[in-house]
Amino acid sequence: MRTVLVLGERAVREAKRTPDALLPTLLIPIFFLIVNTGQAAKIFPTGSTPWLEGQSYAAFQLPATLLLAASFGTAALYLVEEIENGYFDKLRATPISRGSLALGRLSAEALKSTLMTIVILAIAFPFGIRIASGVVGVVLLVLLTAGWAVGYSGFLQFVALKTRNAAATNSAGLIFFPLLFLTPNFVPRGLLARPMEIAATFNPVTYVMEALRSLILVDLDWAVIGVGFLVTGGFVGLTLWMNIRTMAKYD
Amino acid sequence: MTPPTDSLAPEMTNSVPAISARGLVKTFTGRSGTVEAVRGVDLTVQPGEVFGFLGPNGAGKSTTVRMLTTLTGITGGSASVAGVDVASDPDGVRHKIGVALQEAGLDMRQTGRELVVLQARLFGLSRADAGKRAEELLELVELSDAADRLIKGYSGGMKRRLDLASALVHRPDVLFLDEPTTGLDPSSRLVVWDEVRRINAKGTTVFLTTQYLEEADQLCERLAIIDDGKIVTEGTPATLKAELKARRGLEADPTLDDVFLDVTGRRRERGAGEVSEVAS
Repeated sequence: MRTVLVLGERAVREAKRTPDALLPTLLIPIFFLIVNTGQAAKIFPTGSTPWLEGQSYAAFQLPATLLLAASFGTAALYLVEEIENGYFDKLRATPISRGSLALGRLSAEALKSTLMTIVILAIAFPFGIRIASGVVGVVLLVLLTAGWAVGYSGFLQFVALKTRNAAATNSAGLIFFPLLFLTPNFVPRGLLARPMEIAATFNPVTYVMEALRSLILVDLDWAVIGVGFLVTGGFVGLTLWMNIRTMAKYD
Repeated sequence: MTPPTDSLAPEMTNSVPAISARGLVKTFTGRSGTVEAVRGVDLTVQPGEVFGFLGPNGAGKSTTVRMLTTLTGITGGSASVAGVDVASDPDGVRHKIGVALQEAGLDMRQTGRELVVLQARLFGLSRADAGKRAEELLELVELSDAADRLIKGYSGGMKRRLDLASALVHRPDVLFLDEPTTGLDPSSRLVVWDEVRRINAKGTTVFLTTQYLEEADQLCERLAIIDDGKIVTEGTPATLKAELKARRGLEADPTLDDVFLDVTGRRRERGAGEVSEVAS
């Protein structure tokens, strides 16, 4: 755990020194929140749309914004850079566990995601968006989003380790867009056309999104929240295992 | 500058070789087929030696180093470093070795001090001890003044010295230096040579790969030349040169370069204004 924190601290320092890499990861999700809300808010007015639970359509869109921001991690691209310049070998020659090596940068992604979520919420609150589940809900929202950030960055880190190529790693990051649009992104799952509903049911992002949405719109609905945490935990475990396995066989 | 007085190395007894390899083999399998990069290397390096490992480009030098430093798996044969088996206890080996690879792999977004402190902490030192150790080592490699500058602003020679310092944080028994002066200007090269001598004088065994024969002649007590994945000769620079002189009946004293060309069956040719090494 100590070595994870040491490596995480380094990644945080690195992020602070490259704010230009961080800014688009905040601005692009907010752009999508504004555009999506602008396009559909009039179709779904608060008063006559029961699934908005009395909030604006922007509140319904907020989970997609949070997940998008959490999926823009930079850990994998920095890893490719380190593989290319040889520093990764220097780290591999130290007697730390391969798990620590995998988790070092991911722990920084969790922290970055936490800060990003707080900033997005701070921007959203003045526009009337409320977290119906209260302070506990805000904490759970931050934790769930950070968990997703670790899982998705872990997936990209796995691609980086396998391909050792910046272009391939960058392209893999785009996989999140189809995943995001195969969710109940614009309306609840029950209102989707049947093929889309089936696709959304098989898409793990759906359950994380529904858990976040439940925290924002409903209250502490533990069944929905629990599934969201289970899916995220499973995703983190899977990507971490893939990372450790790849690092152990790395030549 | 007064170097720190502590011992940089190690409690290795003279009965255990610093490095031992028997029938070391490495094959790489890719889409274009299987390449045998190292084909049965036998080596013994004694504690306290500066051992040179020479060879033309692609001969298997770096692959051998990567196997001995646990960075690449061993396909066949066995190896131990500081008495620890490389294949069965890679973490044990990592505790005993310092590694400075080709091109000085460093994290350009950190300062020199941050990099050395990080390395020390990964070897288990507390934050306070890591800070003290970094101070000592940065002084040793004469980088104290630049310690708090980002590494991306360092010159090639400064990067090499920093890489050396970071390889020494845990007082390794054996230091692996893979082409430590490639790409450096002559004065930076001399500084690195001095560092290597200083490190070795404190008891650390040094395993050095180089393509510069003068460097091997200056620094190494013994050396081996590898070609096409196999060791073709081994000995002290003096004995290798004497053997060539006697065998060829030469009047003038041969250089290490003559020995190298003789055992690898290569000659130098000038083409398009450049001297290149070609197989005879």
